[in-house]
Amino acid sequence: MRRGIVLIWIAIVLSACNWGDKNVVIPVNDFFKSQDRSIYRLSPNGKFLSYLKLQDNMQNLVVEDIETGEITQLTHLKEKKITFYNWVSDDELIYYKEKNDKRFLSNLFIVNKNGKQEKELFSNENTRMRIIDDQLIDDKFILISSNKRDSTVFDVYRLNVRDGKIEMAAQNPGNFTNWLSDSKGRLKMAISTDGVDESLWYRDNEAEPFKKIVTNNFKTKIWPIAFSESKPNVVYAISNVNRDKNALIELDCSTGKETSVLFANDSLNVVDAQYSKHRKMVDFVVYETWKKSNFYLNKSSEELYKKIGSLLPKNEFRIIHRDKNEQNFVVRSFTDRNPGSYFLYNSNTNNLKKLSDINSAIDSEYMCETKPISFLTRDSLMISGYLTLPKNSKNKKVPVVVLPHNGPGLRDVWEYNADVQFLANRGYAVLQINYRGSKGYGKEFYAAGFKQWGHKIKNDIEDGVKWIIQKQIADSKRIAIYGTGFGGYIALNAAIENPDMFKCVGANKGVLNLFSYLKSIPPFYQSSLQMYYEVIGNPVEDADNMRQVSPVFHADKLKIPVFITSNSKDPRVNSNDVIQFIKELKKNNVPVTYLDRDDGISSPNREAERQRAYTALEKFLESNLGKR
Amino acid sequence: MVSEKDNGYRKNFSLILTFIVLISVIFILSLFLAFNFTKKKIESDFVSAKANVLEESIRPYNDFFLNKLPEISYYNGFLDSATATKLADTILLKYPFVKRVVFYDTEVRNFRFEDNGLNVGDFSVGMKNAYLFDPKPAKHAIRLFGKNALTNTGVLENFNELALKLYTFIQKLDTTKIPTQEQLFANFTNIKPNRIDYLNIPAFEDLKVYKKMVRQKLESEPIYQQDMFSFELDPLKISIKNNRPALYQSVKIVPVTYDPLDADSEYVTGEINLGGPFSDYKLFFMSSKAFIKKEIFSYFLPIALIIILFYGVLMLVAFLIFRNLNINRKMYKLQYDFLTNLTHEFKTPVSVIKIAGNNIKSAASISEKDQKLYGKILDDEAEKLNGLMNKLLAFTQIENKVIKLKEEEIHIVDFIESTIDVHTLKNPDFELTYTVNGLKTFISDPVLLASLFDNLIENAYKYSPVNRKKLHITASLIKEHVVLRFKDQGIGIPSAEIKNIFKKFYRLQNQYNQNGSVGLGLAFCKELVNFMEGEIFVKSELDKGTEFKIVLPYKA
Repeated sequence: MRRGIVLIWIAIVLSACNWGDKNVVIPVNDFFKSQDRSIYRLSPNGKFLSYLKLQDNMQNLVVEDIETGEITQLTHLKEKKITFYNWVSDDELIYYKEKNDKRFLSNLFIVNKNGKQEKELFSNENTRMRIIDDQLIDDKFILISSNKRDSTVFDVYRLNVRDGKIEMAAQNPGNFTNWLSDSKGRLKMAISTDGVDESLWYRDNEAEPFKKIVTNNFKTKIWPIAFSESKPNVVYAISNVNRDKNALIELDCSTGKETSVLFANDSLNVVDAQYSKHRKMVDFVVYETWKKSNFYLNKSSEELYKKIGSLLPKNEFRIIHRDKNEQNFVVRSFTDRNPGSYFLYNSNTNNLKKLSDINSAIDSEYMCETKPISFLTRDSLMISGYLTLPKNSKNKKVPVVVLPHNGPGLRDVWEYNADVQFLANRGYAVLQINYRGSKGYGKEFYAAGFKQWGHKIKNDIEDGVKWIIQKQIADSKRIAIYGTGFGGYIALNAAIENPDMFKCVGANKGVLNLFSYLKSIPPFYQSSLQMYYEVIGNPVEDADNMRQVSPVFHADKLKIPVFITSNSKDPRVNSNDVIQFIKELKKNNVPVTYLDRDDGISSPNREAERQRAYTALEKFLESNLGKR
Repeated sequence: MVSEKDNGYRKNFSLILTFIVLISVIFILSLFLAFNFTKKKIESDFVSAKANVLEESIRPYNDFFLNKLPEISYYNGFLDSATATKLADTILLKYPFVKRVVFYDTEVRNFRFEDNGLNVGDFSVGMKNAYLFDPKPAKHAIRLFGKNALTNTGVLENFNELALKLYTFIQKLDTTKIPTQEQLFANFTNIKPNRIDYLNIPAFEDLKVYKKMVRQKLESEPIYQQDMFSFELDPLKISIKNNRPALYQSVKIVPVTYDPLDADSEYVTGEINLGGPFSDYKLFFMSSKAFIKKEIFSYFLPIALIIILFYGVLMLVAFLIFRNLNINRKMYKLQYDFLTNLTHEFKTPVSVIKIAGNNIKSAASISEKDQKLYGKILDDEAEKLNGLMNKLLAFTQIENKVIKLKEEEIHIVDFIESTIDVHTLKNPDFELTYTVNGLKTFISDPVLLASLFDNLIENAYKYSPVNRKKLHITASLIKEHVVLRFKDQGIGIPSAEIKNIFKKFYRLQNQYNQNGSVGLGLAFCKELVNFMEGEIFVKSELDKGTEFKIVLPYKA
């Protein structure tokens, strides 16, 4: 007995010694905890800060006096359903809530910042409302879009926030998807799509009809940012017309022609630009290589960002919101190992005050570093990606989980990624690959992925795996591939083609069947079908090829353990596919872990479902990659 | 001889006999039962294995029904004639029981089909095109039908049946609950004799729209693509997997009504319905009785062999037990005899001592002559007793290997001469001669060797008739071995007894050993020789003489 106690003591002392570099296993839900405070907004005068506070699944609007720290709760809701809110003066806010139960219900309220004088502006059982421009026109109007006239079409309205009356600002002919107003709130530009081609429409004043000024195939983008206030008829836009990479340009709205280039680079792809209403100019463009960086177009914005940056060393940050005079800012920081925090920054005092953490359960000490990687494929294409190594993996080969991202047209970015950190924390190296067809690497790279789902895209993944083996990082006998949606599709296809490369495969709500995927595109996207046909394949003309690369047809070729989840309650998914697929796998004695995962956004037990799914995934990986 | 009952040793012949009879009865009984069991098993197998044959034969159909049909749904209504052709081709090739395939490129919409479709209210299910895939008329080639050629083929009815089924299903559909896969599968297939129709199962979202379309004409005028297949099946093309060819002489697919007249007492028959779309047909099994009998024997034979083997082993064990008992009985008898002889042997000197003692006790005075006489008698008899006991002791010691071999150099001539001297002194009528060839000395234990010589010499004397008491001893060195021969002209040993003479307590039954022998002599010699790592042989001729040959290892 005594000896037992001594041994236990030794064990405790030893484990305490190892504490420093030891991996601490963090509970699943800690990785995914959602912030309890979100959507920070500053009042126009910068004296008040508002946010949505989530407590016990109840979401309420709160206003804080920055100077005194006094907190006023404006709403007393029992649910989480505020879709948007907005300051409409230094004293008043509007908020809009939506509920999608058996009956749809939407309401719009206006309330004073002291919580009094709440008034319902608008209530409807059928229509939805979205905000287009949060600036107040004539001190009483804001621009919203609503499907009031036709449930399938969103027209633009001017909402009078004083009395709740709305009047139409522009009627949507049916295919307008985005709108842009100028600094005075005049709706002057719209973007339309017929699914394949995207057009820019312009009108000089609101009395005129919109005129089409330029049309591009969906592979080419012109994305208007803001109207120039100094030059008439000029809009700043991100464009890749006649370029491979996006650039920031000035576009003449009367001709639809590019007049000048603000920022363009053959190797840098612009993903965003920040227009300052206060300075009336574009502050900077955001370009993305392995991570996002700013290129400043004026001194004052560069100085501002430098000042904030020096207060947040080793952190990336973004400005989320600003007051009218651009003196107070809501800043969000993050790194690869930290989901980040919200701060309030005052440029006059150069004071940075922390507001809240995105996820306080995450201690970045225990998170793993995500490093950019790149490799050449068999057809000599440079592919980028990220590699996250688990703790204590120096000089030893580790099991790897390859994590192809969802698609089409998405990419992995450098940031805190809960999935990646969860897997790395469990001892796996995580390989993310921005395979061809991923966005953000130029037009050509994007188009290179078209109809290559089962072919070159899969090869890119394989080449990535070969690279990580060759680099002596991976234990080549312990490699798994797991993905969500199209990531799951890629995983299954890779496992079908290369049963020797992977020890096991996981598909979380994976696409099993390209035919079903095309069929599941909802009716209001029907116009985009042609685009999908180009990206994925034409179900009639390319039927053979699509059959060949749809995992559901090849269950008999899958020989390694499979983890698969689907949501049988999702009406758009034809659950016939997944059930048949699993039946056939089981008939062939392939070990299958199947989870019916009901965790849609509206699902009440979303957190429990997520916990269940990730625990099952953890167990599945452990039993397959745990031992050599 | 002592009777069996007297020595308390039972032979129990009747017990053994009972045992043999009993196991023989069990043997016959088990053979009989085994045969009956086999017969019953084969007969019931004939009935029950039918399901197995059916299952095996129908497996390709089940694969077709459960795996291939749902694959049509994977295409989600996107099938066109080219892809459908490939699909139909693989099906026709893989499943020989599929005779013809009709593909209807189907639409579900809100406006009427005039000719080729089903219209219920505003809900219309109709075909854009229909294609027939029939490998028969032209090899590989596929005949495509236009819209108008359909009417005279009757396939339009098939289409309408399933279209109506779809309509009924949609009408009853509860849009708040997702139907199970089984419900869907049952409602999108139509199983008819020799035909299966299948309509691809759309997603639940689409079914909800269908439901709306049944109720009202939708403004958006949606058109939904569906694929319907009609498979004509030929049950006679199902390949029969007779997995019990020894049980079923013939298996064939026949219409349900088939009932042959010649299936009389000569044959055993059975049948099982094919089920599903083949329910008009059945599997018909037939075997002649002789065929069944052959099968029964092929099953029974190994069982019988095992029983026989078991019986054989049992008998062998019984025999071995019997033999061991017999040997033990003989051993017991030998020991018993030995005890009797030994008692007798001891009795003579003891009684002489007793008489001498009595005489001395009863005599008033003893003369010197008498004193010497009695003294000698007592001394002699005591010496006899001592000798007897020593012999017994030595024998036991040697037998149990408790003494150690002494090694001394022996001068063979001196040794033999001194031995002869002793014996001629004891028995003056004994004629002893010797020869020594090629050896002077060797190493051995003198005591054991003397004991050996004494025993053999005494034996020779004892078993020789009065006029032939002669013994010739030869000692020679042959191939590194000392070979000693003792050749007498005595009564000899019957050849049947030769193998027994070295056994303990064994004595030849004859006039020469009526008294003064315990039957230990030769057994003792053998033990001695064994102890000296040598060997002893005997060669004898009845009434002519015996020769003992002793081979000892030569050590110098």
